[in-house]
Amino acid sequence: MYSQTNAPQKRLSKDAVKVWLISEMIMNLIGFMIIGVLLYLDYRFSWKEWIGWILIGITMIAVLGAVWSFINPFLLYKNWRYDVDEEFLQLKSGVLYEEHQLVPMTKIQSVATKQGPLLRKYGLCSISIETMGSSHTIPALPKDVAIKLRNQIAHYAKIKEVES
Amino acid sequence: MTKTKRYHPLLILFNLWKLVKNSIFFVIYLFVIKADSESNFVIYGRIIFFLAFGITLVSIILKWFTHKYELDDRSFHLYKGFLSKSERTIPFSKIQNVNRHTSLLHRIFKVTSTNFETGMRGEEAAVKFEVISQIEADRIEAHITSASRHELTTINSNNDNIELSSKMDTENANSNRTIHFKPTKSDILKASFTSLSFFILFPLIGSFYFKINEIFHVEEEVEGIFMSIMSSGWMMTIIIIVLVIISATFGIVRTFLKYGKYQISSDHDRIYITKGVIEETTFSISKEKVQAIEIKQSLMKRLLGLAEVKLTSAGSLSSGEDTLEINSLYPFLPVKRAYKMVSEILPSYEVTTKMTRLPRKSLWVRLFKPSWIWIIATAVLFYFKPSILKVEQAWWILSAVLFILIAVSRLLDFCNTRYILNDQFIQFKTGSLTTSLFVSKRDKIIEVKVTRNIVQQMVGLASIGTINRAKPVHHAGVDDVPLELAASLYQWYMKRRNEIKVE
Repeated sequence: MYSQTNAPQKRLSKDAVKVWLISEMIMNLIGFMIIGVLLYLDYRFSWKEWIGWILIGITMIAVLGAVWSFINPFLLYKNWRYDVDEEFLQLKSGVLYEEHQLVPMTKIQSVATKQGPLLRKYGLCSISIETMGSSHTIPALPKDVAIKLRNQIAHYAKIKEVES
Repeated sequence: MTKTKRYHPLLILFNLWKLVKNSIFFVIYLFVIKADSESNFVIYGRIIFFLAFGITLVSIILKWFTHKYELDDRSFHLYKGFLSKSERTIPFSKIQNVNRHTSLLHRIFKVTSTNFETGMRGEEAAVKFEVISQIEADRIEAHITSASRHELTTINSNNDNIELSSKMDTENANSNRTIHFKPTKSDILKASFTSLSFFILFPLIGSFYFKINEIFHVEEEVEGIFMSIMSSGWMMTIIIIVLVIISATFGIVRTFLKYGKYQISSDHDRIYITKGVIEETTFSISKEKVQAIEIKQSLMKRLLGLAEVKLTSAGSLSSGEDTLEINSLYPFLPVKRAYKMVSEILPSYEVTTKMTRLPRKSLWVRLFKPSWIWIIATAVLFYFKPSILKVEQAWWILSAVLFILIAVSRLLDFCNTRYILNDQFIQFKTGSLTTSLFVSKRDKIIEVKVTRNIVQQMVGLASIGTINRAKPVHHAGVDDVPLELAASLYQWYMKRRNEIKVE
């Protein structure tokens, strides 16, 4: 209905799903290790009862979170869209909580590409955009696309609006 | 264009005064309380104190000799540094608002302090004159106004499609300020009533009593006096009457000192808000730099038909030590007067009273939205089950009361919420007990967003949000508006391209 007319169309790289899955897996592993250690300590030194309950609660939430973290990357990829033209940057993401942003090019202050070890493995980059009022990130674009987009945004953002 | 100048020589005196004020605590501690102490800590403390005092003293004098300023047609040039020198250039066009603060000490010497605030982040965001003669401050302000006006007209003449009309007749704009508002006696009475300053005396007396009690332990005597007063009826009546009179006078005097010499005026380019009887504060902003208007009404003000109008600026709003809300037009304006004043001083803004209400379905969405506060509070109450006043069931009564309060506040919020996209203006009103009406222009909004959670997606609603320049950035928005509005918000914002002027 409303989104069809002017919604952004460009998508992220497909490898983004893999990157997110791997990073989520690592995060979950670390998380579960910490919880495991805490549970062991709780058992070993017989801490107060309520601490045990809280730990069990945290474990349950963590398990649910882990399950969700294996579904989320697919949904995230499926629904992430962006677009740039001479005047506006558009970002749209999320299924359960959909967010659609419209940023004028003239208000963009800086744009940068970033690459962590996981992104580098798949030849991807993320773009972070700072505006006068907030900051935005486009995660996981192929490196050449990312650099092109960065330069394009930088070029458009060079045009300055008379501030008043 | 002016020559490079040093700051006002009285700056040394003012800084000395500040230094003395800051060192009083150390002096009392090191030389009065610990006067007889021979411990290393105190002895070294004294040495360090003398060193610090001496260094600050020298640096104050050096600073005055090395800090200089200069104005040309376009910008401020600030020079400082003794060994490593720095020069800072701040174009007039970046200045968002001017805050002037005249403390009692300033008044004695017929000087003032002025901050020219920019929208930049960080410590050096403002051009500060801590002490400056009033004539010089006026001169600089006039210089900036005329310079930036000149610049604007040149930009305008480069572009063709801009309404020049409003800026053409600016030659004789100086000095003909119109005064829009000065509070009368009844305004001040109303203000002191609305701000409940009648009651301010009681907490003051209370805290005074506790402080005295801490030192002298007068509790028993006071209780005795209190009992003897309570026992005689006419004595109590007299004391209550006297207290009420004192309290009311105190409240009115306090309100008068704060809002007595309020004055809102404007000339062709700028708006000036002056206030304060003893310490005078002036806030002035160029009309084009007003980022948004906010009209706020607390419950008390709504009952009395008063409102507060605030102008949002991208520059900082604090002046010196006190962070009073200097950007507010008189906080106790009658509503109609407030609307009229906005159209008087900001002719380029248009505030309409015709706004759209939320659809019925957003009330249901709001009512059924889980309230985290209620869930957590109920969980805590359920766990502890406290009995209040020996009532065992207190926990679920409290929970139910909280639930009703939340529901009522949501209902009120729903009833108060209105919105409209009116030509190049966006306008919305939100709030349950305290309402706030937000008005901004398309070219002043720096970002828009639309969000929809899962329930909103199912019933076809959305939340809209805008960001405006301010310090810190101003987020505004309405929840649960129809999806059509969200779509038209995009269309509306896209039209921004026709309005902005490109350098």
